[in-house]
Amino acid sequence: MGHTDLSLDFAGIKMKNPIAAASGVFGYGEEYSRIGDIRAFGAVSVKGTTLKPRAGNPPPRVAETPAGMLNSIGLENPGAKVAAEEKIPWLRQFGVPIIVNISADTYEEFSELGTIFKDVEGVSALEVNVSCPNVRAGGMAFGLDPRSCYRAAKAVKDAFGGTVIVKLSPNAADITAVARAAVEGGADALSLINTLLGMAIDIRSRKPLLGNITGGLSGPAIKPVALRCVYQVAQAVTVPIMGMGGIRSWEDVVEFMLAGASAVAVGASLLVDPLLPERLTRELAGYCAREGIGNPGELVGAAWR
Amino acid sequence: MSLLVNSNTIGAGAEEARGHSGGGALREIYDVNAQVVSVAVVPGEVYRAKLVAPEIARSARPLQFVNVEVSQGPHPFLRRPFSLSWFSAAEGLIEITWAVVGEGSKIMTQWETGTEVRVLGPLGNGFSLKDIKGEALQNADRPRLWLVGGGTGLLPMYPLAKEAASQGWEVALFYGARSMAQVMDTSRFVKAGCRVIVATEDGTYGSRGRVTDLLEPVIPELGHEDVIVACGPVPMLRSVKNLMALSAAPLYVSLESRMACGTGLCKGCAVRAAGDEEKYYHVCSDGPVFRADQVELGGAP
Ligand SMILES: Cc1cc2nc3c(=O)[nH]c(=O)nc-3n(C[C@H](O)[C@H](O)[C@H](O)COP(=O)(O)OP(=O)(O)OC[C@H]3O[C@@H](n4cnc5c(N)ncnc54)[C@H](O)[C@@H]3O)c2cc1C
Ligand SMILES: Cc1cc2nc3c(=O)[nH]c(=O)nc-3n(C[C@H](O)[C@H](O)[C@H](O)COP(=O)(O)O)c2cc1C
Ligand code: FES
Repeated sequence: MGHTDLSLDFAGIKMKNPIAAASGVFGYGEEYSRIGDIRAFGAVSVKGTTLKPRAGNPPPRVAETPAGMLNSIGLENPGAKVAAEEKIPWLRQFGVPIIVNISADTYEEFSELGTIFKDVEGVSALEVNVSCPNVRAGGMAFGLDPRSCYRAAKAVKDAFGGTVIVKLSPNAADITAVARAAVEGGADALSLINTLLGMAIDIRSRKPLLGNITGGLSGPAIKPVALRCVYQVAQAVTVPIMGMGGIRSWEDVVEFMLAGASAVAVGASLLVDPLLPERLTRELAGYCAREGIGNPGELVGAAWR
Repeated sequence: MSLLVNSNTIGAGAEEARGHSGGGALREIYDVNAQVVSVAVVPGEVYRAKLVAPEIARSARPLQFVNVEVSQGPHPFLRRPFSLSWFSAAEGLIEITWAVVGEGSKIMTQWETGTEVRVLGPLGNGFSLKDIKGEALQNADRPRLWLVGGGTGLLPMYPLAKEAASQGWEVALFYGARSMAQVMDTSRFVKAGCRVIVATEDGTYGSRGRVTDLLEPVIPELGHEDVIVACGPVPMLRSVKNLMALSAAPLYVSLESRMACGTGLCKGCAVRAAGDEEKYYHVCSDGPVFRADQVELGGAP
């Protein structure tokens, strides 16, 4: 059995393993640091950050669904200034690549966010969230239409200059068209998928269960949709892909890699199993060793290559 | 708002005092593979289990909770939050007591001695007498703690009752349940030295009425030497808050909300801050215990 090296260069981001924290389940790391070791992640994507602070949506904000959950957090975050001046400098101490997930209502705001984070030490990449279903204005709208996605990607890339990841929505009619537009706009990598728009109704009150009425579906229930999206997008573009959607086991990780993801992120499952990344890296390494795989990069896209 | 910067909230000060400030960490949270040592159906139509969880038992405070895995498969997906109804650092044990209301709590009824379950905790700020500030109380000869519990809201208050009684506080418990079948065993409160007064809505046990009917007559007596802690359904907490509006005694409420992580990661457990449309607290990390005037009790959980 040869030695397995899990490290990779993901669009310039040096990851020591391919397991990242998905945006929105890791905050800016402070809470996580009380539970687990941040160094276990290959990279971390922080909470969706907007120009101005946001209080988030009215409760209830989460609901369990079959093999998954709905959330309508509504991008509760302290705003770009606090993120840049307090949160990122704190998170930097762990030496794990930091991806700042950003969300905006206009192209101008995206551009401003790019400018703000350009000068922040320790930001490895910006992840452009054009796929959040939980905010009324903007949000997901950018990710449904190739033309708007192109403009959002370009606005961030022009202002930021560094590595830009565009996060795609499975709610788009043709996700490959949006993916190509993102790359044309300057995306160095893509991440997918964000949550699927859904809802739940309380039969006792006869009203929608979530305060925001609709929310984003995530967890194991969405894994087949996510895999299909990665499989299609990976064949449509040449930039690397960070795959996510329902990942909770090393087998899931391998499936996403075979579909074409170079790296993966854990979202909802981290909320249920906060020490998941340590287990996934250990088990992925074990699998590679058993199979004689020197680096899991060998698996990427094998399902269609 | 992160719990780290919110020194207004309960427990934050006490934690700083313990010196857990390195790297921004407050309290440690453990994910343990806990073995069930006993499980039983107890009066009040609830289940009660003791689990081996020394790390959690060692650092737990009254009114903290744990997030319990109910399935190793993908469904039911989320863990379930349950209060610590008892814990012992010396024995390395924690206890949870639950009503069967849905899928998860039903699965838990299949636990047997030896069953291993993943338990994350201790979670939340909890509440300790040390958190109560106020000179009058510090100087009181015999400070009084009034516990107001509705339904399963009785459960998490026992560790606090015990702590208070052992420190010479006079402790009284007002407890309300729907009917006799739902009345839980309060003998451990009595044993701890606590006066227990029960009401049921249909009058089948104790006096007839709601728990707030028990509280109302004593309110005029309450002053700076008294502290009230209430735990139960939101409508009950709202009534208690309204009743106490003009009292000088501080009122603390322990809240429930739908949760995913229970640890502050997801911001899913928001509760609106009183008098501020644009501010939320998080039940799992800022709470579950709040000063009643901090939070808006308008909505149901
Ligand atoms: C901090 C805290 C402490 C609690 N302590 C206790 C306790 O000591 N004893 C006890 O019997 N119950 C307690 N509860 C309520 C308990 O969490 C719910 O009864 C339980 O989650 C129901 O799960 P289920 O799968 O049986 O119900 P289902 O209705 O099938 O659950 C579906 C989803 O809704 C959530 N949910 C349902 N009811 C509640 C509720 N009342 N509060 C929060 N989430 C809910 C579940 O967690 C799950 O995610 C507490 C809740 C919180 C937030
Ligand atoms: C509670 C919660 C909050 C989220 N917040 C964000 C966010 O702020 N920005 C974002 O791009 N995605 C957000 N997401 C989406 C996740 O990053 C991820 O794309 C999605 O949940 C699918 O992965 P999963 O099934 O592993 O959760 C959030 C997901 C959850 C569950
Ligand atoms: S339940 Fe996730 S932050 Fe409270």
